[in-house]
Amino acid sequence: MAAQYRNWIKDGLWALAIAGMAAAVLRFTFGLGASTGLNDTTPWGLWIAFKLCFVALSGGGFTLAAMVYVFHLESFRPILRRAILLALLGYGSFIVSLLFDLGLPWHIYMPIIHWQHHSVMFEIAWCVMLYFTVLTLEFAPVILEHDWFRHPIFQMIYRALHVAVIPLVITGIVLSTLHQSSLGALILIMPHRVHPLWYSPWIPVLFFISAIAAGLMALVLEGFLVERWLGSQVKLDLLERLGKVAAFALALYLALRLGDLWARGTLPAALDGSWQSLLFGAEVLIGGLLPLTLLTSRKIRQTREGLLTSALLIVAGVVSQRMSLSLFTMWRPAPYLPSLAEILIALGVPAAAALIYLFFVENLAVLDEKAPLKIAPARVQLPMTWPFPFAERNSLNGIIAHRSGLAVGIIAVMLAVLPIQTAASGALPLNLVQPARGWRILWIDGNRAKYQVEFAHAEHQERLAKEMGSSEEACQTCHHLNLPQDEATACWQCHRDYLQAVNIFDHTRHQQILGGNAACQECHTVEHTRRSAAACQECHETMSPKEGQAAFNPMAPAYLDAMHGLCQDCHAQQAAAQNRPELALCKTCHSLQENPSELQAAIRNE
Amino acid sequence: MSLALKHVGVLVDVTRCIGCNQCIEACVVENDLGELRHTPQQAPDGLSDRRFAAIVESPQGAYVRKACRHCLQPACVSVCPVGAMYQTPEGVVLYDYAKCMGCRYCMMACPYGIPRYEWGSTAPRVRKCNLCYERLQNGQLPACVEACPEQALLFGERDELLLEARRRLERSPNKYLPVVYGEQELGGTSVLYISPEPLDFLGFHGAPGDQPYPELTWNWLSRTPSVALAMGGLMTGLFWVIGRRMQAEEKRAARNTSSSHEA
Repeated sequence: MAAQYRNWIKDGLWALAIAGMAAAVLRFTFGLGASTGLNDTTPWGLWIAFKLCFVALSGGGFTLAAMVYVFHLESFRPILRRAILLALLGYGSFIVSLLFDLGLPWHIYMPIIHWQHHSVMFEIAWCVMLYFTVLTLEFAPVILEHDWFRHPIFQMIYRALHVAVIPLVITGIVLSTLHQSSLGALILIMPHRVHPLWYSPWIPVLFFISAIAAGLMALVLEGFLVERWLGSQVKLDLLERLGKVAAFALALYLALRLGDLWARGTLPAALDGSWQSLLFGAEVLIGGLLPLTLLTSRKIRQTREGLLTSALLIVAGVVSQRMSLSLFTMWRPAPYLPSLAEILIALGVPAAAALIYLFFVENLAVLDEKAPLKIAPARVQLPMTWPFPFAERNSLNGIIAHRSGLAVGIIAVMLAVLPIQTAASGALPLNLVQPARGWRILWIDGNRAKYQVEFAHAEHQERLAKEMGSSEEACQTCHHLNLPQDEATACWQCHRDYLQAVNIFDHTRHQQILGGNAACQECHTVEHTRRSAAACQECHETMSPKEGQAAFNPMAPAYLDAMHGLCQDCHAQQAAAQNRPELALCKTCHSLQENPSELQAAIRNE
Repeated sequence: MSLALKHVGVLVDVTRCIGCNQCIEACVVENDLGELRHTPQQAPDGLSDRRFAAIVESPQGAYVRKACRHCLQPACVSVCPVGAMYQTPEGVVLYDYAKCMGCRYCMMACPYGIPRYEWGSTAPRVRKCNLCYERLQNGQLPACVEACPEQALLFGERDELLLEARRRLERSPNKYLPVVYGEQELGGTSVLYISPEPLDFLGFHGAPGDQPYPELTWNWLSRTPSVALAMGGLMTGLFWVIGRRMQAEEKRAARNTSSSHEA
C-alpha cells in the first residue's frame, strides 16, 4: 500500500480516537445521563454490545497459543505473536470501554476486595484481570527484544518469561474458557429481556465455541489487512488451515445452537416472519451455514477470495449474534437509541487500539520473530493546500491540527446524518402529566415540547372542595369520567383569559364560527375524534408549530368534552324549560355499563 | 443490630388502596428524596432515582403500589460482583454505595425492573426501596406503612402476613383472586400482594415462574471450578503427551537415519 494511503488511514483512525476523547470529556464531566442514551429501563446499551464483540474477536489469542504450545503445531508460530497482540488489544479495548460504562469507574478494583462468588460478573472481572496480565506477559518478550531493553535485568525477565511460557499459556486457556463462556452466562439471569431465539441455557458453551471460530477468522482477516498494509506476502497456507479449524468450531456452534432451539421447541419462532426471525435467519444462514459450506470445500478455502469471504461472513455472523442478543432484539419497555457520544466512544476505543497495533507492528518484531519490520514511514509531503497559518502541514502541530479537524468533521457528519434523538441523550417521550412533590403539583407538558406548566393540583382541589362542600364534586369539576393521568379539563375552560391565543385550541369557538353542530366535518373528516382532526395549518396557512411540537394541541378538549359541549347545555335548558329533569341525567344518553371508561353514548339527533 | 422479627415483610391489599399517594409522600420525606425531577431517563411507571415507590394503575384501573419486592432469593444480590447489593438476615435487600462499581447488572437482572439509577450524577448511585431498615431497627414501622390511611399496607413477620393474606382470601373469596402474589413466584418475595385482578404486569413478561432467578446462573457458575480443573488438566495432559510422542518420533527418526547411515 502506498505510504499516502497508510497516512490517510492513520489520520482517520486518529480522528476517530480524538472524537472519542472529546466524547469521553463529555461523559466524565456531565455523567452517563447527559452523554448516553441509556435509561432506567435500558441500563446496558451499545458499549456492552461492543465489549462482547471485542472479547469474541480476541478468541484467537488463546486458541493459537493452545495450537502452538499445547498441540505443538509449530508451523503456526509465525502468526502467534500477531494473535497475542490482537487479543491483548481486544481485551485492552474491553477494559477501556468498561471504564466509560461503569458509573463509578474509580471503584473498578472493588471485586478484588469484596468477593461475591455467586456473581458471573465477579468471575468475569477476575478472569479478565488475570488474562490481561497473562497476555501482557505473553507479549512482553516482543517488547523486550527491542534495542532499548538491553540491560541485564530486562534480559533476566526475558529469560524468565521464556521458561514460564507453558504455565502461562495453560493458565490463559483456562481463564479464556471460563470468561468467554461466562460472558454468555451473564444473560442467563435475564430471560425476561433476551429474545427467545437468542436465549439458551447453553449460551455459555455457544459463546465459547463461537469465540474460537470468530477469533480465528479475525486472525485471517488481520492477515489479509496486514498484507495490504505492509505489502508483504500473506501466509495463505497457514490462514487456510486456521479456516479449517474455525470450520469445525463453527459447525459445532451451529449444531448446538439449532439443536438446542429445536429441543426446546423454540425453532418455529424462527419462521414466524418477524424481523427478529429474519435477523436470526440471516445470522444462521449467511453468517453460519454459508461460510461453513465455503470452508468445507478445499478448493474454495485455498483461494484468497474464498477464504476472505468466509472469514468476513463468520466474523459478521458472530458479531451479529453478540449484538442481536445484547442490543437489537433485547426486550425493553421503553425505547433506547445510543447517543452520539456513546457511538463516538464505542468507535474511538477500537480506533485507538488499531493505532497501537500499527505502532507495535511497525516498530517491534511482531510479524517476524527475527527482526522488527522497521517500516514506519516518514510522512509523505502531501501536495494539498493547507489553510492554517499557525502550523506547517508536516510539523507535529500541523498533524495534530489536521487530525483534530478531521475529528470535528466526523462529529459534524454524524450530527447531520444520525437521527436527532441520538445527538441529545435520552429518547424517551415525556409523559403529558407528571406528578411532583408528592402530587402537590402536576407538571403538564400539553404539546410535549419539554416545557412544563406547573399546575398546583392540590391547591385547586382543596379550594374547590371548600367551595363545593364535597371533595367528590371538586374532582368532577375538572375530571369527568377520566382517570387522573388522562386528559382533564383544560385550564382555559375555567380561566377564560388564559393562554387562549397561544397554545390552546378553543374548540367551542371554532365550532361556533364554523356553524355549530353541522360543522364537525370541516375538520373531522374521517371520524369524530381528536386524532383525526385536521391540522391547524390547513385553515391557518401562516401558522407553523415549532419543530417537534404536535401539529395540534393535545390539551384541546377531548372528544368527550366536544360531544358534551354539543348536547349538555341544550339538555340542561330544556330540562328546566319543560320541567323534565330526566333530560339532564347522564343515563338519558349513556347506557350504563360496568366499566365507566366504556360508556357508550347514544347520540340522538333530536 | 438485628431486629426482633425473623423475616419481615409487607402485605399489600390492592382492594384497600385508594391511590392517595400518602405512602409515597412519606417515603419522600423519610428518605429525603426531594422534588421529582423530570429526566428523559425515567421510565413511565413513576419509579426513579427520586422515587422508591409509585402507584401504578393496573390495566383494569386498580391502584397498585410498585416498589422493591425484597425477594427471598434476589436476582440483584446474586448478580452484584462486589456485594454492594446485599440481603439482611431479616430479608431486607439493601444497597451499599461504598462498594458499588456502577455496572448496573442489578438493574438488568431484576425481574420486576425496580432498581433505578442517578443518571444525572457524575458519581451515581443505584436507588431503590430499603424498607426503611433504619426505622425498623428503632422499632418503628416503614414510613409508607405508617402513612397509609386505609391500612392497605400491613407490616410484620412474613409467615404471619401469609396467614393473614389467606384469612382475607377465605373471608371474602369474591373480592380477591385466590393467590397471594409473592408467595411462590421466583422463590417468593417479602412484599406480598392480594388483589382482585392479576398483577402479572408488575413483572417484566407476565407471570414469572417459580424458579428463583439466581438458580439460572448458579447452575452454570457452580461448575466453574470443575471446568477450570478439567480444562487445565486436559491442556497439561495434552501438552505432555503430544510433546513426548513428538520427542519419541524425533528419536526414532534420528535412530532410523543413524542406522541407515550405518547400513
